Amino acid sequence: MTQTTKVREGEIWAVGGGKGGTGKTFITSSIGTYLAKKGKNVVLVDMDIGGANLHSFFGINRPQKSLTSFFEMGASLSDLVVKTDLSNISLISGDVHSLSTDKITFGQKLKLFRQIMKLNAQNVIVDLGAGSHYNTLDTFLIADRMLVVLVPEVIAIENMYHFIKNSLFRKVKKTLKEYGFKEIAQHIWDRRQSYGINNIKELIDYLKESFSYIGTILDHELAAFKVHLVLNMVRNNNDILLGASIKSVMMKYLGVPIQYSGYIEYNDAVWKSVRERKPFMLNYLATACAKEIEVLVDNVVKGKEVVLPGGY
Amino acid sequence: MPKDDLKKYYDMLELPPDAPLRDIHNSFMRLKKIYAGESIVLAPLGEEFSEKKRKKILEQIEEAYLKLLEAKKDAPSRTAFLFTDGQEPGAGAEAAALDDAPYTGPTLRKIREKAGVELSEISKELKLRLELLKHIEEEKFEGLPEAIYLKVHLKNYAAYLGLNPVRVIEEYLRRYQAWKEKKSPSEK
Repeated sequence: MTQTTKVREGEIWAVGGGKGGTGKTFITSSIGTYLAKKGKNVVLVDMDIGGANLHSFFGINRPQKSLTSFFEMGASLSDLVVKTDLSNISLISGDVHSLSTDKITFGQKLKLFRQIMKLNAQNVIVDLGAGSHYNTLDTFLIADRMLVVLVPEVIAIENMYHFIKNSLFRKVKKTLKEYGFKEIAQHIWDRRQSYGINNIKELIDYLKESFSYIGTILDHELAAFKVHLVLNMVRNNNDILLGASIKSVMMKYLGVPIQYSGYIEYNDAVWKSVRERKPFMLNYLATACAKEIEVLVDNVVKGKEVVLPGGY
Repeated sequence: MPKDDLKKYYDMLELPPDAPLRDIHNSFMRLKKIYAGESIVLAPLGEEFSEKKRKKILEQIEEAYLKLLEAKKDAPSRTAFLFTDGQEPGAGAEAAALDDAPYTGPTLRKIREKAGVELSEISKELKLRLELLKHIEEEKFEGLPEAIYLKVHLKNYAAYLGLNPVRVIEEYLRRYQAWKEKKSPSEK
C-alpha cells in the first residue's frame, strides 16, 4: 500500500464550561447518542480526569481500559475504545482515581491531541469535565465545535466567563507565539496601566490598531473562535432569555461571538435516567428534553440559534 | 433617516434590520436591564466591566431605542402594520383616524380588534388578569391599580400590539390622572 497522508474527515466536539454539576456528561452522552442515531459513527472521550463517569451513562461498569493506560503505560488511544450497547457509538473511559490534570506533561498532551484527531470516527465528542486548567483549555481549543454548558445560576455564569476568557487568552498567546509576536504582547501587557489597558479585549484591540499585520493575523485566527452556548436545567422563559443576555455581554466584554445553540429544560426524567444507567435519548425520547437535545445538535451543525420566546 | 444609521441602531439593540416594534421594545427592555446592572449576567464580571463602559452602552441602547421608535413613527401610518397584507383596502381612512386619536381606552380596543387580537390572548401572553385588561379598555379607572403599576401594564399591552409604549402611557395616564384629581382633588 502506498503511503498516504490521512485527511481528517471527522469532527471534534468539546463540551466544557468551567463549573461542575451543570450536566456536561449528560449532554455529551445525549448528543453522542443522537448523532449516532442519525447514522454517524461516534466516539466519546471522557476527559473528566478524576471524576470520570461517562461510561455509567451507557450502563457500563468501570472499564478495564481507560485513559490511565494511555498516560501511565503509553497505550495507544485507539486501543482504549470500548464498545457500548448501541451500534454506532463507543467510548474511551476516563481515569477515576490515579491521575490529576496538572500531572499531564506537555509531550503527553501533544500525543493525546494527535491521537484524538486520528480516532476512527465521524464525530469525536470530548467531555472536558469541570475546571479551567490550561490542559483543559487546550483540549477545548483543538475542537472544531466548542460547546460550553451552564445552568442559570450566577456561579455557573461566572465560571463560564472565566473559562471562555482564559481560552481566548491562550488562543491569542499561542497565535502570537506562532508568529513571533509574543514579546510585543507581553511587553505591552506588563505595562498595561500606562497603556490604559484593562483587559484582554483591550489588549487585542490595541495590538490590532497599533500593528496592522498583527491585526490581520488575529482576525484570521480568531475568526474560528466561536463558542456554542448550551443552557441546561432551565425552568422558565426568563432562564431561556439568559442565553441571549450572556451572548450580549460576551460580545461587549471580550468581543467573542457566542452562538446560543440550545437550552434543555429541567426535568426529573434526566435524574431518573442517570440512576437507571441507561442512555437518556433512547428511553426518554418523548420528553421535551430529548427534543431540545435534537434541536441543539441540529443548531450546532447548521450554525443556527435558539428561537427566543415571547417575540424577543 | 439614512439606512446605515438605522442599521446601526438595530445592531445596537441586537436585532435584525426591520424588526417589528414589539421586538424593538422587548430587546430594549432586556438590554436595559442587563446594562443597568439588574441582571445576573453582568454581576460576575465586577470591575472588569467598568461603570463607565456600562453607562456608555446604556446611553447607546437608549438612543437606539428612541431613534427606532421615531423611525417607526415616520412610517406612512403607525397602524399600517395592522393592514400589511392589504386585505382591507377600505380601512385606510379608519386607520388614519385611529392614528391621530389619542390613546384612550376605546381607541386601544379598536386598534386591538382591528389587529384581530383577542383580550384573552393578551391576558395569557402577558399573564395579566382579563378583568384588568377590560378595565383598561373600558376606562374603569376605579378598577385599575396605582399609576406606577398601571404604567407597566400599559407598556406591555402597547408593546404587544406594536404601539409606541411611551405615547400610550403618556396619553392614557393623562386621562387617568384627570379622573383621579376629580375624584379627590385634595389628595394631590
